[in-house]
Amino acid sequence: MDALRIGLQVILVLTSIVLVLTILMHKGKGGGMSDMFGGGLSSSMSSSGVAERNLNRITIGTAVLWGTAIVLLGLIEKFAV
Amino acid sequence: MLRAFAQAFRTPDLRRKLLFTMGIIVIFRIGSFLPTPGVNYANVQTCVSASADNDVLGLINLFSGGALLQLSVFALGIMPYITASIIVQLLRVVIPHFEALHKEGQAGTAKLTQYTRYLTIFLAILQATTIITTARTGVLFGGCGEAGGTIPVISDDSAVTILLAILTMTAGTGLVMWLAELITERGVGNGMSLLIFISIAASFPAALWTVANAQGGFMTFLLVVLLALLLIAVVVFVEQSQRRIPVQYAKRMVGRRVYGGTSTYIPIKINMAGVIPVIFASSILMLPTLLAQFGDQNAGWVQWILRHFATPASPFYLITFALLILFFAFFYTSITFNPDEVADNMKRYGGFVPGIRAGRPTAEYLRYVINRVTSAGSIYLVLVALIPTLAFVLLGISNIPFGGTSLLIIVGVGLETVKQIDSQLQQRHYEGILK
Repeated sequence: MDALRIGLQVILVLTSIVLVLTILMHKGKGGGMSDMFGGGLSSSMSSSGVAERNLNRITIGTAVLWGTAIVLLGLIEKFAV
Repeated sequence: MLRAFAQAFRTPDLRRKLLFTMGIIVIFRIGSFLPTPGVNYANVQTCVSASADNDVLGLINLFSGGALLQLSVFALGIMPYITASIIVQLLRVVIPHFEALHKEGQAGTAKLTQYTRYLTIFLAILQATTIITTARTGVLFGGCGEAGGTIPVISDDSAVTILLAILTMTAGTGLVMWLAELITERGVGNGMSLLIFISIAASFPAALWTVANAQGGFMTFLLVVLLALLLIAVVVFVEQSQRRIPVQYAKRMVGRRVYGGTSTYIPIKINMAGVIPVIFASSILMLPTLLAQFGDQNAGWVQWILRHFATPASPFYLITFALLILFFAFFYTSITFNPDEVADNMKRYGGFVPGIRAGRPTAEYLRYVINRVTSAGSIYLVLVALIPTLAFVLLGISNIPFGGTSLLIIVGVGLETVKQIDSQLQQRHYEGILK
């Protein structure tokens, strides 16, 4: 059980770092404060290049792995003690 | 109106966007309840119910939809992103480089957004560290759940566990930021504001329920609901109203074609700054109490701060809040709407306000109108922000279920999102949801 927990923790650390990095690599589409509350209509162009699409796939994969690790760690915490 | 809703779902393009947005919201809510590894969920629950009436964390907790006090993976929620946006926006006044980037147009704005994102992660690390350490020492829950006590919030008090929790929360904040951007990009509405909206709306029913249960009983509950509905109606009315300054464009010939000759108007909303002054003011007012948490609890200044700033009902708090809102309303309007720039642009395209010369006189006229409209708007903001608090004090309800801030945010974001759905609907049909 301990080996599994440590393994999951390592996975969590790695995915957390990768997740932050991949998210920062995205082009920001937030638009910032100006159109947050009652800005003009911003025309959103959803066309994204191949690089952005691949980045999306990597981000989603990492996020799923990250979430799974957290859930598993939570379950171990709950039932191991 | 209901037909318009049905139509929104029958349009394939819009249906995809709506479903996408809802999916993201579901992910966001699930993450708000997923406990961070290393945090003992059962002990957190015990501590939350023990320190439910802590006013300091009330507002932060409200913005995160109850996720903060759960110490979940999305505990920080969208707050670091908002703070980062505010900081970058304000730095435009201070740092010339930022102002130059802003003026550059699309590419410059993209760069500013990128700065905002880096700052968000930095702030997330900072805030996650603060939250985890205060939870560990028991300050977060008002002396409950310290490490080594009977009900430790963090089950295993080793450096590895704590670092892991901080790292996870930071990554969670990054993920929330990305989710918000995805909504803006592929869904409906602005992701950032929509996620705050969801967080606040999620804690609304529970807050109302405590009023119905704890104090005053059913009549008070009814009164509170009526007050909320009335305020929402007022806010909707004022948010939609605007002053229209007529602008006439001169006809001009370019080659063989005639351009211009149209008359339009510059819409100036009564409350141009939106809900931002209220958010600024409340986050600044949170600072002294946060500082006091770290001081010696028996010191004179800590006692003074706790007496005057920890409860929203104290007159000192109310007056400071009102003054801050007034200041930020003017400040933010002056940042977002630059009369000189607008007048300059109008002059360049041959536009003028009837009866006023183009150029500097126009800029001065615009500034005059904006100052007068903003005066009314800022007073309205103060009233909306303070009325719920005052009413609850008068009704004798001690813990305030919702403030004017949350009402303003809910109505503002709701209107904006519906307007966006509407404009998409009108690409296919003529009748929208809003008449």
